[in-house]
Amino acid sequence: MDINVRKRSQVHVVQLRGNLRMGSAVDGLRQILEENMGLGDTRFVLNLAEVSMIDSTGIGLLVRFLASTKQRGGNIKLVQPSKFAVQTLRLVGVLNLFEIFDNDDAAVESFA
Amino acid sequence: MPPDTTGHPEDELSELLNIGFPADPDAIGKVADAIAETLIELQVPEQKRLEIGLAVQEALVNAVVHGCNNDRSKEVRCRLQSDPLGRIVITVTDPGPGFSPDTLSDPKHRANLYADHGRGVYLIRQLMDEVSFESRGNKIRMWKY
Repeated sequence: MDINVRKRSQVHVVQLRGNLRMGSAVDGLRQILEENMGLGDTRFVLNLAEVSMIDSTGIGLLVRFLASTKQRGGNIKLVQPSKFAVQTLRLVGVLNLFEIFDNDDAAVESFA
Repeated sequence: MPPDTTGHPEDELSELLNIGFPADPDAIGKVADAIAETLIELQVPEQKRLEIGLAVQEALVNAVVHGCNNDRSKEVRCRLQSDPLGRIVITVTDPGPGFSPDTLSDPKHRANLYADHGRGVYLIRQLMDEVSFESRGNKIRMWKY
């Protein structure tokens, strides 16, 4: 999985490309979230437009960091999850835990 | 030959893939991708392909992590077959002690929504049309019609 991170207005916008599944993909995203949270950053936008599959390991990562960022006044917001990713998140009952946006701009602005 | 408990005669199944791999989390994706490529070659529709792909991913993760404790000296086996009606069956086997799927907690329970694990078997059951655990629970067979 390819991961690209840029910072906009105190929000980390993380662009993912590939499958968010056990292995280097989840490990890579975890590292990014941990490192930035260690620096005190708690606002993240995950652009999932090019993520075709999220497995349960990926879901576990997302909800765990959603909880920890929210505890510190932040959040993880999702942009353009695929139809199948939405189906998967809904199947396990976590879709409604997340705020979902059509584009990065809207997601970043929602933190204001 | 052990009795067929699912109503699907074993001798009517065509072998499409039979892969053994070391129980390494980094090997899972490659096996899942090989399954996906075969399903594309079979012209399985995309939605069905995605559902099978995710179920296989979950079964492989369970086998490697829980069945083998990520021990690369152990082998996980993944088998892809089809029947004369074009139905797909995937079997994942590990050498571990097995488990009872009836003991798993409900991932959709409010107390478990933020858990970082515990969704794999639930997803498999939602995505596939028929799921059975065989042997001592270290062999899962999943059907997609």
